[in-house]
Amino acid sequence: MGLRTALGEFLYGMTGYEFARQASHMRHELGMAMMLLSFGDMVGLPILPPMYALRLLPHVMLDIEPWKRQLLRERFALDNEEFDLIEM
Amino acid sequence: MNTFFAVAIGLVASYLGYTQYAKRIDRDVIQADEKRMTPARLYTDGVDFVPTSRNVLFGYHFKSIAAAGPIVGAITAANLWGWVPAIVWLVLGVCFIGWVSDYSAIMLSIRNEGHSLSAIAHRLIAPRTRIILFVFIFFYLLLIGGAFGGILADVMNAQSQAPLGIIVLMAMALLLGQMLYRWHMSLIPATLIAVGVTTAAILAGPASASFFKDTLGGGINSLTGGAPLVQYFDPTVADPNTGLVVGAERQILPSFVFWALFILAFCYFGSVLPIWRWAQPVVYIGFWVTMVAMLLGLGGAALAIFVKPEVGVLKLAAFKGWDAGVGGAIQTIWPMLFVTIACGAISGWHALFGSVGTARQIEYETDALPVGGGSMFMEFLLGLLALLAVSTGGGGGAGAFANGLAGFMNVFGIPVEYGRALAFVAFTVIVLVVTQLVFRVMRVTLAEWLGESIPALRNIHVSTLVSLALALFLILTGTWIYLWQLFGGANQLMASLSLLVVTLWLVSIGRNAVWVGIPMLFMYVTTVAANVVTAYNLYITVFVSNVGREGRMIPTIGSALMIVMALLLVGAALVIAYDGWQAYRRFRTQPAIPVAAGAS
Repeated sequence: MGLRTALGEFLYGMTGYEFARQASHMRHELGMAMMLLSFGDMVGLPILPPMYALRLLPHVMLDIEPWKRQLLRERFALDNEEFDLIEM
Repeated sequence: MNTFFAVAIGLVASYLGYTQYAKRIDRDVIQADEKRMTPARLYTDGVDFVPTSRNVLFGYHFKSIAAAGPIVGAITAANLWGWVPAIVWLVLGVCFIGWVSDYSAIMLSIRNEGHSLSAIAHRLIAPRTRIILFVFIFFYLLLIGGAFGGILADVMNAQSQAPLGIIVLMAMALLLGQMLYRWHMSLIPATLIAVGVTTAAILAGPASASFFKDTLGGGINSLTGGAPLVQYFDPTVADPNTGLVVGAERQILPSFVFWALFILAFCYFGSVLPIWRWAQPVVYIGFWVTMVAMLLGLGGAALAIFVKPEVGVLKLAAFKGWDAGVGGAIQTIWPMLFVTIACGAISGWHALFGSVGTARQIEYETDALPVGGGSMFMEFLLGLLALLAVSTGGGGGAGAFANGLAGFMNVFGIPVEYGRALAFVAFTVIVLVVTQLVFRVMRVTLAEWLGESIPALRNIHVSTLVSLALALFLILTGTWIYLWQLFGGANQLMASLSLLVVTLWLVSIGRNAVWVGIPMLFMYVTTVAANVVTAYNLYITVFVSNVGREGRMIPTIGSALMIVMALLLVGAALVIAYDGWQAYRRFRTQPAIPVAAGAS
């Protein structure tokens, strides 16, 4: 990889990357809410699957395992508090 | 001695430390293997576990760790002991301990399925280690809130060219968040607008100085007829003529309190508003302001010898003595230097952040060293720059730093007046962006720690206000140097804990742990000693000299509170030492866990 590309990526990492991460976090939160409402019974929540759940299933098939893993992963209490922004 | 040689020494030391020591450990001890799956690739979810290019991650990790810590620590240490002890600790610390801490915490998490330091400590040492880590984090945040809040209020009160830039920064941060997340503007034009307007306001700072100093500051102080609200004896004040630490009576005026409340109001918004609305844009704009100042400063420091040699001459005393204490205080180089300069040499916060954030984005194991270790070596350069700026600037504290940095910028033809304004605001911003987020984490920690027994603390406003009130109280005690050293002690104790966890992990898998164990023992003994010494200093120079005197209730109670905090930290460290020793004996007597392909 050339020096110019490496420098560009380094600058991106210092500037725009955190916005991309924040945007993906925000989108993910909405997606998580949608998945919980539609497929929450898969992770043991007492949610009656909505009538369109089966219609959505083929579209989210590949995302179910990562979603379960993400949802049920043990978390450190401060995991979501944007450690990356707290420069020390 | 000229700054060029100091920069050259720093670069050579970094190069040798990285290539001759760090790379050897990565290759021969940890045996990083780019073919081995990392948690980022194994558990990709597009949110937390995201394989990322090493160069992007390097920039991201460096930005996350390089901030006010190395700057304030270097300034303080240089004023207390001279620049030679400071530069020696910076160099030796980063080469033998700092990169070890950052790199090993990241590798520890990578080899343990992306678990955080807290979770691994729970498993390897004892369940209560997790709780103790919470205690460390809370007090660490409280102390940094008090120390940085005090510095900021002091700068805003004394340097009247700074407030305009900060006020405009606030407005631009709100606008930037709106432009990016609501109006979906591209990053580059949004950056140009927000950073451009903020920079213009910074450069217009000198023109607004008389308003903030005379009209606003004078008007507020006239409410009490110029009488101070709090008086105390500061044992760490240096004589501006001789540079020696002599101590002096200090007064907290109403204008100082006004700016302290202003800063805390800023932090309140940083704590309660959505991250994208306030905190993130503030950090982003602040990053550009400080990066421009630092790059110009580092370039000027390196080139001064060729263009303007008088700018690069170190005016501060090289060595002021083994003990900078006054009034009975102990400020010996060991152990106090090692907690005064925390980040820049070694920092526990980096290990905590690295194990939670960066480790889950490492694409190949061989990226861990350049990202984690490399970032630490680069942060050392930031600490070195701060040290050189304060050593060339003359005077003391933030003023000397701004003078020195302005001098370096003058090498490129930037007028000193504008350079000073930029340097002061850069210093203020770099401290402010940390402080505003500290309270955000504090409220979460408070809610997690005490939310069960005091449900009101689960409310974000209540927990934020409680945190701010505690910090304001510490600010008003005025003993910020002890706040800083206690913060350094808490920070380095976290680093010791991180190194302990890594040591135990290496022992459990039968790998050589000496390269981590010795730094761990050194940091542990040093920081425990430093916390005991700080408690003693607080008692002798603040509590005893203020107790029973009229109008000295705040420093008296504040110093008592800080003594209790120091002793709590020492107690927690002793508990960890005991649990760590028990865990070490366990791992030494059982067979080493076989290292299979793809496992730790």
